[in-house]
Amino acid sequence: MSRVYIGVDIGSVSINIVAIGEDCELLFRLYKRNTGQPVELVKEGFKELQKELGAKKEIAGVGVTGSGRQLIGYVLGADIVKNEITAHAAATTFYYPEVGTIFEIGGQDSKLIIIKNGIPVDFAMNTVCAAGTGSFLDHQAIRLGIRIEEFGKLALQAKRDVRIAGRCTVFAESDMISKQQYGFTKPEIIKGLCRALVRNYMNNLVRGKQLEPQYIFQGGVAANEGIKAAFEEELNHEVIVPEHHDVMGAIGIAILVKEEMERTGRGTSFRGLDFTRDDFYTDSFNCAGCANECEIIRVKANEEVIAMTGDRCGKWSGSILNVRDSEEKHA
Amino acid sequence: MKIGIPRSLLYYYYYPFWQTLFAELGNEVVVSDPTSGDQLNEGVKESVSEICVPMKVHIGQVLNLLEKGVDLIYIPRFVSIRRGITFCPKFLGLPDMIKNSIAAVRGKILTHEIRAKTDDISAYKNYTIFRDIFRVSKGELKKALEAARQNWLKFRALQQEGYKTEKLLLGEKEKREEGLLKIGVLGYVYNLYDRFINMDFLDRLEELGAKIVTFEMLDGDIVDRFIKNLRKPMFWEFTNRLMAAGYHFINSADIDGIIHITAFGCGPDSILGPFLEIDAGQKNKPFMTLRIDEQTGESHLITRIEAFLDLLKLKKRSDIA
Repeated sequence: MSRVYIGVDIGSVSINIVAIGEDCELLFRLYKRNTGQPVELVKEGFKELQKELGAKKEIAGVGVTGSGRQLIGYVLGADIVKNEITAHAAATTFYYPEVGTIFEIGGQDSKLIIIKNGIPVDFAMNTVCAAGTGSFLDHQAIRLGIRIEEFGKLALQAKRDVRIAGRCTVFAESDMISKQQYGFTKPEIIKGLCRALVRNYMNNLVRGKQLEPQYIFQGGVAANEGIKAAFEEELNHEVIVPEHHDVMGAIGIAILVKEEMERTGRGTSFRGLDFTRDDFYTDSFNCAGCANECEIIRVKANEEVIAMTGDRCGKWSGSILNVRDSEEKHA
Repeated sequence: MKIGIPRSLLYYYYYPFWQTLFAELGNEVVVSDPTSGDQLNEGVKESVSEICVPMKVHIGQVLNLLEKGVDLIYIPRFVSIRRGITFCPKFLGLPDMIKNSIAAVRGKILTHEIRAKTDDISAYKNYTIFRDIFRVSKGELKKALEAARQNWLKFRALQQEGYKTEKLLLGEKEKREEGLLKIGVLGYVYNLYDRFINMDFLDRLEELGAKIVTFEMLDGDIVDRFIKNLRKPMFWEFTNRLMAAGYHFINSADIDGIIHITAFGCGPDSILGPFLEIDAGQKNKPFMTLRIDEQTGESHLITRIEAFLDLLKLKKRSDIA
């Protein structure tokens, strides 16, 4: 029986699941829109995975990343639960050992990771504003009445340049409306938006940092050819979009869990594929222990409490053994 | 009398001094409750919207003391504790801002100017108004100030020996954890030690295996010498101290990385930050800025800390290899 390692990325807009083999070859990939019920989506995803991989594979490790990693980490009994910056860097450096700069734009986050000699040395994340992210584009696509999948292609058809303010979603929208009223076409408006997004990214994340090629552009937004073109224009250099750009986080966490399991030689803590038949249930209550009145989130599997989180003092979360990145303590 | 001390701003630097001083003068000292969501919400309601979150916390703390029914709330006006250097303007105007933000506090503020040559603020001349307020003689006041000074010096010495400031303030003694990675943490005391607004940032760092060094743990001479030798020091006292600590960290081989924790909208830090960021970059010292505000999401903070420590571990591994 050959071993596989599963990577799960729970993002705000999509949920991705991948399986890799012993040579990190991709055996399975799944990209699903996050409709707000991550546990159900993950269950469905694992059923598909089971169907595709068959019974001859042994799941030797499970890693979870993304903004929703904590809950799904509990549900799966993950071996490692890690932030998405580390995960993305791991995947990119695997496929592109020469990478210098990673642009990652997801649903609500945008990130910049700087790599030197195959090692991440610096990163930046959008702070107080989500103007330059996928959700913003989604919203504008709806406003313009076009499908997000066509967004990028349309931008390439633009004949003229329109400048749209990219600093803030609200201003971008009012700018867009007034430019529409001046008679600019949809493709021109969209191209303007793409360039505004890249400008915003450069201002907020790059902020004068020295960027070196190769430039790798990944995350859900990398599917958008208009943004890729705007990056290339800005950098005056080729920008590479990896084949699996939309599931790089999941691939990265799968690679990391593989390394971890091989290094430590421990067995997986994965709940097993039967978890798809369990009932997971989350509720919350307000702790009355002090004036903070933390909202405590309680995760149950078939009525048994498997995790508690949300307390500032550790009174509740400490009462249950946490899923924890073992590397932190034993490195 | 019952003297209220807000658990905010320079409480985290001078509480041992104030506590001893007021107790020696025969008062009961009441500290406001640790910052909580409710308290901050109340503070935000009474604040002008554009001030930084530590100031909003301070207003919440003052309101909390009013509820506790204290006779006076101590809000000194820190002007200067080094020649030619002042405090951030919000400290200079602090008693006035409080008076004008909270109607109910009028007549209950105990304030006076602090002007000193060093961070030893015990000089009698700053406290002359205390004689009438507490009905004590010059000798009694001087004696109380000396006792306060001694207690504060003890606190400073323990900080430098590596005891946790947040524990010392509660009268407990606990050394900073040892860790695989040594992190220089730059931040004003009221951002570093208010667990609510920084979302337990220090504990989280330690849980992830970091050994923390902060500016108060450094030898005072390092800081003073640095500021003295600056061609153009900054205007603000604690910003200069952070700058001194920052450059010390940048030039210390045993510091693996630097984290600057700053409140959204902090003016002095908007100047300090780029200096450190640029020079840390040139010296190849990993540097990260963490911004805190009323509504910063916890997951963002954790993601950043985790990713930063991961990066340092990888760097360390490759430096050794």
